[in-house]
Amino acid sequence: MFADRRIGLALAAPAMLFVGLAFLLPVGILLSESLHAPSGWTLSRYITFFTDPLSLEVTLRTLRLGIGVTIVSAIIGYVAALAIVEAGPQTRGRMTALFVLPMMISPVARTYAWIVLLGRTGLINKAVVGLGLSDEPLRLLFTETAVFIGLLQLFLPLMVLSLTSALENLPADVIPAARVLGAGWLTIFFRVILPLTREGLIVGGTLVFTGAVTAYITPAVLGGAKVLMLETLLYQRVSVANDIATASVIAAILIAMSIVTHSLIRRMTGMRRAA
Amino acid sequence: MSSKQVIGLAAGMAAGLVATGAIAQQRTLVVSNFAVSQDLLRKDLYAPFEAKCNCKVVLDVGNAADRLAKLEARKANPEADVAVLADFSALEAARKDLIEPIDVSKLPNFAKLYDIAKDPIGKNYGVGYTFYATSIVYRKDKIDVTSWTDLWSPKLKNRIALPNITTTQGPLLLFMVNRALNGATPDFATGVDKIAGMKGDIVTFYERAAQLTQLFQQEEIYATVTGRFNWPLIAKLNMPIAWAQPKEGLTGGLNVLTIVKGSKNRDLAYEFINEWLSTEAQTRIANDLIDSPANREVKLEPQIADALTYGEETAKSLHVIPPDQVLANRDSWLAGWNSKIAR
Repeated sequence: MFADRRIGLALAAPAMLFVGLAFLLPVGILLSESLHAPSGWTLSRYITFFTDPLSLEVTLRTLRLGIGVTIVSAIIGYVAALAIVEAGPQTRGRMTALFVLPMMISPVARTYAWIVLLGRTGLINKAVVGLGLSDEPLRLLFTETAVFIGLLQLFLPLMVLSLTSALENLPADVIPAARVLGAGWLTIFFRVILPLTREGLIVGGTLVFTGAVTAYITPAVLGGAKVLMLETLLYQRVSVANDIATASVIAAILIAMSIVTHSLIRRMTGMRRAA
Repeated sequence: MSSKQVIGLAAGMAAGLVATGAIAQQRTLVVSNFAVSQDLLRKDLYAPFEAKCNCKVVLDVGNAADRLAKLEARKANPEADVAVLADFSALEAARKDLIEPIDVSKLPNFAKLYDIAKDPIGKNYGVGYTFYATSIVYRKDKIDVTSWTDLWSPKLKNRIALPNITTTQGPLLLFMVNRALNGATPDFATGVDKIAGMKGDIVTFYERAAQLTQLFQQEEIYATVTGRFNWPLIAKLNMPIAWAQPKEGLTGGLNVLTIVKGSKNRDLAYEFINEWLSTEAQTRIANDLIDSPANREVKLEPQIADALTYGEETAKSLHVIPPDQVLANRDSWLAGWNSKIAR
């Protein structure tokens, strides 16, 4: 765009400087903190963390919920995105707005709404008891299920939006073409739609997974101390125990989880295409 | 006279006036305090004190861990003069040589304190300015609570929230459960095992007291354990909820005022502490429902007293965990809780 590359670099410099000083540098300091003990460089903080049964349980739960929310939101997301793309322009706009609207409401408000909905006298339990599915109201609040529902609702729109924009770029005739050649819907999805929309899935999946494992409000409010996740454990370590060292270990694990998941999704969707 | 000389003369006169205290000399007293209710404390305590002392009260607010760390960092050249701390934090500060013993003979209002507040951490390192009771709060139409052992009554199964170990109330819960079961060890092993055995029946281990009102309102819980300072909020729900008087007694906590070692304004610090303990200040603070009075001369309207931890009888019935036991065992409580209850 610029004849002289130096102009481009100069224009990018402020942004790069900001990212470097305000983001990369602090993250670097944080990560080195987790590898540093008074005696020198060491992995001991990680070993201590992963040999503690509670931390291990919390890490596995965080992974489990993160992966679960990502997979379920991908399934719902594809269905919703296909419906949106198939709809006429006006309906498409309205449906997209429906998914975007919740994102404009504070996550705190949305999460608190779930406390009322999931409560013993809440809408969901009234329905369950009213339909005769259970004699007693279910204990939903402060369970992993509650956190799962809260996170799914929080991050599903990100998946739907990413997949919608990916599907919009899908050539209109590839699906009919596959049908004509006798492909079933599953084959079409895995051999045609998925490979052609993988970028959307990678973006959506990374956003949803990263968002789910690093969310604080939802696990804190809907899970509480009985359903600790890494983020709530991190907060506890800092605010209660003033244990910055363990907190930096948790932060490093969260960053690692996000990066690994991103490349895993990339690889998995890539392999499908190669197959 | 040159302008330089005029300024010099004026400065000299000003210095003379300051020395005789004739004009407002802006000395500052730095108070390290909790962040809660600072607006009301300014009205009830800092502003009246500033009017008397011709000084300025500057605050350094934050949680105990942060403020202790700050005191430690500034040990050689302390910035704060008075530190407001929980009793066990004050003992920790004393052991780290961050605060100094108080000469209580310099505090005319000291004699007015309840015994529990006079020397809670020993060697007069701190004077108590407020205390609070912790007990069981329960739906009286659903259960009758007369003992800490009622916490595991079948009627409360799946209908009880307990404080998490990370809150100030968590150790108090373990303390009283341990006591009710005649647990002898200071690590509260008996209490930890009891709570661990019933953890499936507990709705949640709460971390923010504000949650409790919602849980009561939605009938998620019929009982919980909490400090008296939350009682006004819960009472406002207009539900049949009562404050228990268990036969084993109540527990609670105590906060103290301490003087930072090496304070540069020691005289002001003494004046400030004496002011805080005065009947007038303690009454104003109590009437704004900030802190319960530790001064036994404070007289309150029944409605105010009900919202606070008030009176000689209450003060005597409180079983407070000895601060040295808190310091010696809090790691083992946390470890016991994390390995048996949090998982």
